Amino acid sequence: NKKNCSGTSHFSKWVTCPFKGRHGLALLHMSVFSQSFSPCGRFLAAANNYGEIALFSLSSALSPDATELSQKPILTFTAHEGPVFCLLSTDSQLLSAGNGEISAWSWAELIKKVMGRGKILSSCLMTLLLVSLCCLSQDNSLIVGGGDNNIHVMDLEQGNFKSVLHGHTDYIHCLSIREREGEILSGGEDGAVRIWDCRTGQSVHCIEVYKYESCARPQYGKWISCLTTDSDWMLCGGGPSLSLWHLRSLSPTSIFSLPGCQRQATFYQDMILTVGEGPCVSHCLLGGDVKAQIPCTPQSLNTLALNTNSTEHRVLTVGGSSDHIDVFTNLSYRAFSLSF
Amino acid sequence: MGAVTDDEVIRKRLLIDGDGAGDDRRINVLLKSFTKWCNSPGTPEEGFTQYQRMLGTLAQCEFSMGKTLMVYDMNLREMENYEKIYANIEQNITSAHEKISECKKEIQRAKRIRKNRQEYDALAKVIQQHPDRHETLKQLEALDKELQQLSHIKENVDAKLELRKKQFHVLLSTIQELQQTLENDEKSDNDDNNQESPTENGE
Repeated sequence: NKKNCSGTSHFSKWVTCPFKGRHGLALLHMSVFSQSFSPCGRFLAAANNYGEIALFSLSSALSPDATELSQKPILTFTAHEGPVFCLLSTDSQLLSAGNGEISAWSWAELIKKVMGRGKILSSCLMTLLLVSLCCLSQDNSLIVGGGDNNIHVMDLEQGNFKSVLHGHTDYIHCLSIREREGEILSGGEDGAVRIWDCRTGQSVHCIEVYKYESCARPQYGKWISCLTTDSDWMLCGGGPSLSLWHLRSLSPTSIFSLPGCQRQATFYQDMILTVGEGPCVSHCLLGGDVKAQIPCTPQSLNTLALNTNSTEHRVLTVGGSSDHIDVFTNLSYRAFSLSF
Repeated sequence: MGAVTDDEVIRKRLLIDGDGAGDDRRINVLLKSFTKWCNSPGTPEEGFTQYQRMLGTLAQCEFSMGKTLMVYDMNLREMENYEKIYANIEQNITSAHEKISECKKEIQRAKRIRKNRQEYDALAKVIQQHPDRHETLKQLEALDKELQQLSHIKENVDAKLELRKKQFHVLLSTIQELQQTLENDEKSDNDDNNQESPTENGE
C-alpha cells in the first residue's frame, strides 16, 4: 500500500522490491501507481512500483479481433530506480516522476519503438528529494510537489525553475489546477488544502479539512491524498472522508460516506468517479449519494484515468495493487484487463 | 480450348433447352410438319387436318411466348418494387441514426442539467444551515433599538451628572465664600478688638 492507516506515512521507509521483471512473484507484488494516455488517445502508459513504464495499444486491445496478446504491453522499459508515482502527458511528451527525478520521454519515439526504430529520449530535468506529483498548467509550466514540503513551478521550455511556493508543513501528495482563475490547489500530509495564486505565488486560502467535524475521520488521520477541481467545486479526500467543496464560499457541501481512503477522484458528466482502498470504482452523485460500486480486479486501487483524447477509444482505466489494469468501455462494468 | 467452349455451349444449350424443351421441340416439329404438309401429296381433308394441327401448334407456341413475356414483365416490376423498399429502408436507417444522435445530445443536455441541479441542491443545503435573512434583519433591528435606548439613557445619565456637578460646584463655592466671609469677619472683629484696647488703655 502506498500509505498505511495509522495516520502518518513516510516515503523514506518505502522499500522497493529487490527483483523486477515479469516473474510470477514479481507480478504478485506489482502495484500500478500511475497512468497516462497519449495525446492521440490510442496508447496508454502505465507505471508500477518497480520503476517500469509499460505502453499498451488501446486500438488493438479495443478492436473486434483482439487477442490475449493485444492485452499485453507493446513496450516495457525501466524508467526510474524506484517506484514511478506520477505520469503526465503533454502534447508531445510523457513526463514521469520517480524517486527523486523527473524524466521526459517523447511520445513519438515511444510509439516508434514499437516499430523497432528509434531510441527512448530521456532527460533528467531535476533532482529533488522524493518528487511526489506533477501537474501541468496551460502556459507550459510544470508544477511539481516535492518531498521538501514545497511546490516548485518549472518552465518546460527553458527547463528552469520559475518559483517555489512555501506553506505546507509536510510533504505534498496531490496537486490540481484551476485554469480559469489561474490557481493551484495542493493537498498534503499536513492535512491542509492550500490554494495558491499562480502569479503572486502566495497562498490565497488554506483549508484544514480535518478540522471540519463532518469530514474528519481521526481514525484514518488527517492527510489529503486525493484532490481534484472543477473550477467551481473541489473534491478532496484521504484520511478525512471524500468531500465536495464549493470553492467560492470554501464550505463543504457534500460528504461521501465511502469506507476506506480515496486516492483519486474525477468529475465525469454529472457524476463523480473515485477509487481508493477497496476493490471497486465508486460512482457518486454530487448530492452525496453513492450511486454504484463497480468491482475491479485489484484489491485496492491507486489510479483512475479517463481517455478524453480520443472519441473512439473513450475508456476508463483503473490500476492498483495488481499487475492488471481494468478497462471499462461502459462505466457500469469491467470490459477486460490489460496486464503487465 | 475447343473442348471447353464446346462444354460451355453444351451446358448453355442444356440450360436453355431444359426450360423450354417443349417449346423448342414444338417449333422444330412445326417446321418439319409444315415442310411435310407443303410437299405432301395427301388428300385435301388430311391436308386440312394437318393445317389445323399446325395452327394449333402455332397457337401453343404463341401462348408460351406470351407467358414468358409476362413473366419477364413481372420480374422487372418486382425488381422495381424491391428497389423502392430498399430505398425506403435506407432512409429509415439514416433517420434512425439521426434520431440516435439527437437522443445522445439530449442525454448530454439532461446530464448537464442534472449536474447543475445537484450543484444547486448542494449549495442550497449549505445556505439553509445559515439563519434566515429576515430573522437576522429583525434581530439587527431589535439590537439597533436597544442600542438607541441605551445611548439615550446614557445621555440622560450624563446630563444629570453634569447638572449635579454644577450644583455641587455652586454649593461648594457658596460655602467657600461664606467661609471666607466668616473668616474675614472674624479677622476684622479681632482687629477691631485689638484697636479698641490700646486706645482704651491710652485714655
